Amino acid sequence: MPTSRAQKKEMTRQRILDAALAQCADRGFVGLRTAEVARATGVSHGAVFSHFPTREELVDVTVATVGRAISDRLHAELRGAAGLREILTAHLAAIREHEEHYRWLAIEWPNLPPQVQRAWLGIQSAISYHLHAAAERARARGEIREVPQHLLFNTWIALVHHYLIHRELFAPGRSVLDERGAELIDHFLYLLSTAPTRASDPGSN
Amino acid sequence: MTEPTTTCISCGMPLRSAEDHAKGDTSRPYCHHCAREDGSMKSYDEVLQGMTAFLANAQGLDQAVARTAAKGMMASLPAWAPARAQA
Ligand SMILES: [Zn+2]
Repeated sequence: MPTSRAQKKEMTRQRILDAALAQCADRGFVGLRTAEVARATGVSHGAVFSHFPTREELVDVTVATVGRAISDRLHAELRGAAGLREILTAHLAAIREHEEHYRWLAIEWPNLPPQVQRAWLGIQSAISYHLHAAAERARARGEIREVPQHLLFNTWIALVHHYLIHRELFAPGRSVLDERGAELIDHFLYLLSTAPTRASDPGSN
Repeated sequence: MTEPTTTCISCGMPLRSAEDHAKGDTSRPYCHHCAREDGSMKSYDEVLQGMTAFLANAQGLDQAVARTAAKGMMASLPAWAPARAQA
């Protein structure tokens, strides 16, 4: 199958991006090394810059690619999720798909470009919106206590991010969401529950 | 695979079904949050105010932080990109 020059160029660009993504999964976005990206792709250092004129641009595109993937996955997971437990589960499933990259975004957020920080705030607000809507429904049925929207979300995200950021304490070299995700969901729902004792399934709502 | 969705030209919200669109009318490229009662699109200031409140309430953000973020988000959306990027 003959490939045109433009197709070849696009394929090389994609391979460079893939190598950058792999490196960022290991070491984060802020310290991305272009020489290593070139080596991993099997192209010259200069070739990297013919596709991405600056290191910053490669970081931006890499981060944007991850952000879009997480956001798409999240919206797909949330579709049809109505109950609190379903939404929390959908949230963790979307993060799980990109756990390494997401973890670095949480750690490096203050040092990322402004448009990345905004995209992150947008994603988090969307999660808060869905969580709040489900909580309102559960509260109307008397299943959970009343909690302001921002505290509902911030309490949940603080729990998830703590485990992700300090993964090495909880699941060194493994997926902390696989190992602890279900426990975090159970615990969060238990905190919200109006039931006097730990219900076996407070989130059957 | 995720199927492609269009997004609101004014706030960027995904428009997945007719009810996400203003007045449930899929020919309108903006969402029901960005529409007035009569279905017309809100002004820049109205949308900015709504988006600032949305971000602030969702995460408990400082008002100025939420407003700056909302402006930045709107600057990259088709409804506002050329006209008000400097606002
Ligand atoms: Zn909108």
